[in-house]
Amino acid sequence: MSKMDTNEGNSMDKSNLESTQEFYDQWIKMYKNTMGKLIEMPAVGPAREKTEKMMKGFSTFVNLYTASMDTSSNMQEVFKEAMKKVQEKIGSDMDGEVNPEKYKEFYNIWIQTYSDTFKDFAKSGHFVSDLGNLNAHLMDYQKYNREMLEENCLKPMNIPTKTEIDEINKEIYTLKKTVKELKIQIKELKGNK
Amino acid sequence: MNELKLNEDYDKFTHGMELLIKSPDFSVGTTPSEVIYTEDKMKLIHYIPKVAKPHQVPVLIVYALVNRYYILDLQPDKSVIKKLLEEGFDVYVIDWGYPSGSDMYLTLDDYVNDYLHNSVENIKERHRLEKVTLLGICQGGTLSIMYSALHPENVQNLVTLVAPVNFDSNKGILNLWAKGLDVDKIVDYYGIVPGDFLNSAFLLLDPFRLMIDKYVGMFDRIECNAQDQTCDLRNEDYIKNFLRMEKWIFDSPDQAGETFRQFMKDCYQKNLLIKNELKLNGKLVNLKNITMPLLNVMAEFDHLVPNDASIPLGDAVSSTDKDTLVFPTGHIGIFVGSKSQKEVCPKIAAWLKPRSIPDGKESEQKKEKLKSKVTKR
Repeated sequence: MSKMDTNEGNSMDKSNLESTQEFYDQWIKMYKNTMGKLIEMPAVGPAREKTEKMMKGFSTFVNLYTASMDTSSNMQEVFKEAMKKVQEKIGSDMDGEVNPEKYKEFYNIWIQTYSDTFKDFAKSGHFVSDLGNLNAHLMDYQKYNREMLEENCLKPMNIPTKTEIDEINKEIYTLKKTVKELKIQIKELKGNK
Repeated sequence: MNELKLNEDYDKFTHGMELLIKSPDFSVGTTPSEVIYTEDKMKLIHYIPKVAKPHQVPVLIVYALVNRYYILDLQPDKSVIKKLLEEGFDVYVIDWGYPSGSDMYLTLDDYVNDYLHNSVENIKERHRLEKVTLLGICQGGTLSIMYSALHPENVQNLVTLVAPVNFDSNKGILNLWAKGLDVDKIVDYYGIVPGDFLNSAFLLLDPFRLMIDKYVGMFDRIECNAQDQTCDLRNEDYIKNFLRMEKWIFDSPDQAGETFRQFMKDCYQKNLLIKNELKLNGKLVNLKNITMPLLNVMAEFDHLVPNDASIPLGDAVSSTDKDTLVFPTGHIGIFVGSKSQKEVCPKIAAWLKPRSIPDGKESEQKKEKLKSKVTKR
C-alpha cells in the first residue's frame, strides 16, 4: 500500500498498520457486498423517506472512514520513511553521554528530515488525491449530519435551521444589490438633469 | 558538569519566559489613519500623509481576502505603509473586513466591480482626479488586475506584488492541491468558508516547521542570562515581533463562499484569467485592456505564489511602460523582511514617483521625470 517510492533494501518489516489496512480492505469489500447492499435497498412503508435518508448516512460514514484510513496509512508510510532517514543520518553519532548539545543536534536532524520528507510527499499526486478525497467525504458527512439535525431535531422543535437562514441571507443579498443598482441609476438620472 | 549546564540553561529559560508572562504590548497597524468610506463590511482607510505636499496621484493598496491588510503595517519600524508615506505618497488601503453569514453570496464581481470600484471612485472624488494608482498584493493583486482590465480609465499605474495571474503552475504546492479539491462540496457545506479551514491548508505546507520548529526556535531564542540587559532588550523586541506575526497569521477572515468558489474554480482550476476567458457578472476580463504603466514585483523564494504564476502578466497586457522586479526573499519577507524597507519599498517608490503626475497638462513634466529617474533592475 506504500504510496512513497521505497528502497527495497531498506524497507522495514510489515508494520501493524499495513496488516490493519489489509484487514480493513477485506472488511470494506465484504461490507459492500453484504451489508452495504442491504442498506442501499429502497425502503418501504410510511417511514420510507426518513429511513432511506438515515440509511444513506451509513454509506457516507463508510466512505469517510475509508478515505481517512487511506490517508492515515499513507501518512504512516511517510513517517516511517522519515524515521528511516533519521536513523541513517544519525548512525552511531548519538551513542555515549547525552547532553543538551547532542539533543539539539538530534532535534535539528529530526526536524529537517521530517520536514523535507513531508514536503516531498505533499507535492505528490497521491497526497493531492488523498487530500481531495478525504475533504470531499468529510464535507458529505458533515452535510449529511446537518441535514439530519435539521430534519429530525430543529424542524420538529420549530427552531430556525441554517438552510432557512441561508434563504434569508440570499434574499437580503439580492435586495441589497438591487438597492445599490437603483442608487446608481438615481445618481445618474440626477446628473443628467 | 552536565547538571551545572542544565541548571544554567533552566535559569536562562525561566528568565526568558518572564518576557511572555509580562504580556508585552504588541500592537499592530499603528500608523495614524482614518476611515473615509464604508460599504457593508468593507472600510476604506486613509493614512495621514507625512509630507505637506504628497505626490499628486494617490496609491490605493488592495490586499488579499484571505488575510488581514495590517501585515503592511505590522511593526512600527518595518511598515510598508509608513515607508510609502515617508516617500511622499498619499496612501489608502481597503480593509475587506470579516465576512459573516450574510456575505456568503458575495461574488468576485461584488468585490471588484462594487467594493473596489466604489473605493476608487471615492478617492477620485476626494482628489478631483481621473485616475488612481493601484498597488495590489497577493490575491489583492489578482483583484487589481481584474479591475484594471475592466476599468482601465480609472487606473494611472498598476503595481502588482507577489500576485498570481497564471494558476497553472506546478511549482506552487497550493496550485497542486487546489486541482484536487471539490470546491463545490466545500462551499455547499460551509456557505462561509472558515478562515481556519484555509489556515490548516497553509500549515500543512510545512507542518513540522510551522507547528513545532517555529515555537522551539522562539523558546530557544528568548533564553537569557538574568544579568544580561542587552539580551533582555533584544528579546523584548523579538518577542513582540514574533507575537505580531502570530496574531497576523491566525487572524484569518472567513471567506464569502461564492467568491471562494469562483476564485478556486475559475482561477486555480481552470486558469481562466490569463487565458482572457474569465467573466465577472457576464463581463469578460480581457488583460489586453490593461494599457497603463505596470510594475510586476515578485519574491524569488515565494512558496505560495511562485514566480511563474506572476511573470506571464507582462506579456498578457498591452502596456508599453512595464517593468519587473524580483527580490531574493519570500512571500511574507517581501513585506516584513529587512529587504522590504531597504530595497522593495524604495524601488517601488522610485518607479512610482515619476508616474504619479496626473495625465494632461503636466504630461511634459512627467516625461522629463520618467527620462531622468527610471532605472531598470
